[in-house]
Amino acid sequence: MAKVLIVDDTAFMRKLLKNILFGAGFDIAGEAENGQQAVEMYRTLKPDVVTMDVVMPEMTGIDALKQIKTTIDKDAKIVMCTAIGQENIVKTAIKLGARGYIIKPFQAPKVIEEIKKVVGE
Amino acid sequence: MTEKVHLRAPIKIYDGGWVDVELVVTDSNLVIGKRSIPLREIEDLEDVEIEGVNCIQIKKEDKIILQLPKNLHQQVFKFIAFNLKADKFAVFFLSSATVGGVVSSNAQWEKGYFSVTDEGFWFLSAKYQKRIPIENLGSVKTDLRNVGGKQRKVLVLSHVEKSNVVTSLVLCPESTLEMLEGYLQRLFEKHKPAINLSDNEMEILTLIYSGLDFASVENIVGVSTDELNNYYDRLVDAGLAKVVKIRKEIELTPRGVSMVDKISKR
Repeated sequence: MAKVLIVDDTAFMRKLLKNILFGAGFDIAGEAENGQQAVEMYRTLKPDVVTMDVVMPEMTGIDALKQIKTTIDKDAKIVMCTAIGQENIVKTAIKLGARGYIIKPFQAPKVIEEIKKVVGE
Repeated sequence: MTEKVHLRAPIKIYDGGWVDVELVVTDSNLVIGKRSIPLREIEDLEDVEIEGVNCIQIKKEDKIILQLPKNLHQQVFKFIAFNLKADKFAVFFLSSATVGGVVSSNAQWEKGYFSVTDEGFWFLSAKYQKRIPIENLGSVKTDLRNVGGKQRKVLVLSHVEKSNVVTSLVLCPESTLEMLEGYLQRLFEKHKPAINLSDNEMEILTLIYSGLDFASVENIVGVSTDELNNYYDRLVDAGLAKVVKIRKEIELTPRGVSMVDKISKR
């Protein structure tokens, strides 16, 4: 099953996504609290897909996406995870190569569907 | 002057049981049996299911339930939706832009009306007549969106549809947009549940929305079963949730323990 790296600055959101994705049979490669950690963990863990929060301290999800795509893996499968009202930011992310996005609050089946679509299952 | 009759059909009206009557739809009235109801006095309209049958419920002081022949149901619903007591604004709308957190890839902008009643609001077009009760409205604000290649100010409504959080967008002249935003904000504030949620309660509500079961919620929030039960009670009492299932917690009697002992020796 695909390995997922979960990136979000709130522990609550990470736990929620972990629960949903683990329950759907995905392996949780790791969890990162900000964009910087996400870049480092992507390099070492080589996950199949990343759920990336947009607004985070130190390095935003957009910057992390850019860095992963340009310096580590141009084919990285990254799904942006954001709040209602940040859709414009996500459109920027899509232009930068994000494969999909989910908007909080989300429902488990929708998240699973989106991640599976991105992973190609 | 006689009114134009759009439709005349035998229907049933619910009055503790089904009663056969004739429905006549004219330019400005619904005539149900002997009762004439001006369309502009109909306060609300909804599809409801009564005894397994899809019916139209109209509200004018009291509620009237009509069972129409299947081939006429949608036609009559649409006619009433376009003509009931409401403020109607010519708009473009996109509903639903997102569903359950995921973008609706097949949603398209529709030319139609945004109609506001005391009970909620409607997206009306030739194809859609979608009613959103005001208690299902989560938030309302304006935002800039790319529409047809241009950045346009739109009204962003988040609301609930079939247990999903959905966002819908409305595009119209800015002055109308601001007026609608203000009006819906006031309506929203008026109907907002009077409860202040703690951080734990907000997390629990989010987890329930995401579809997590009791054990997962307990685990993520880090509270005991009794504590979580208390939180659930508070959310139910506040009208933010409803009980759909009561689980049983049981422990084994000595006979049960003895049975397990036997099972383990098999």
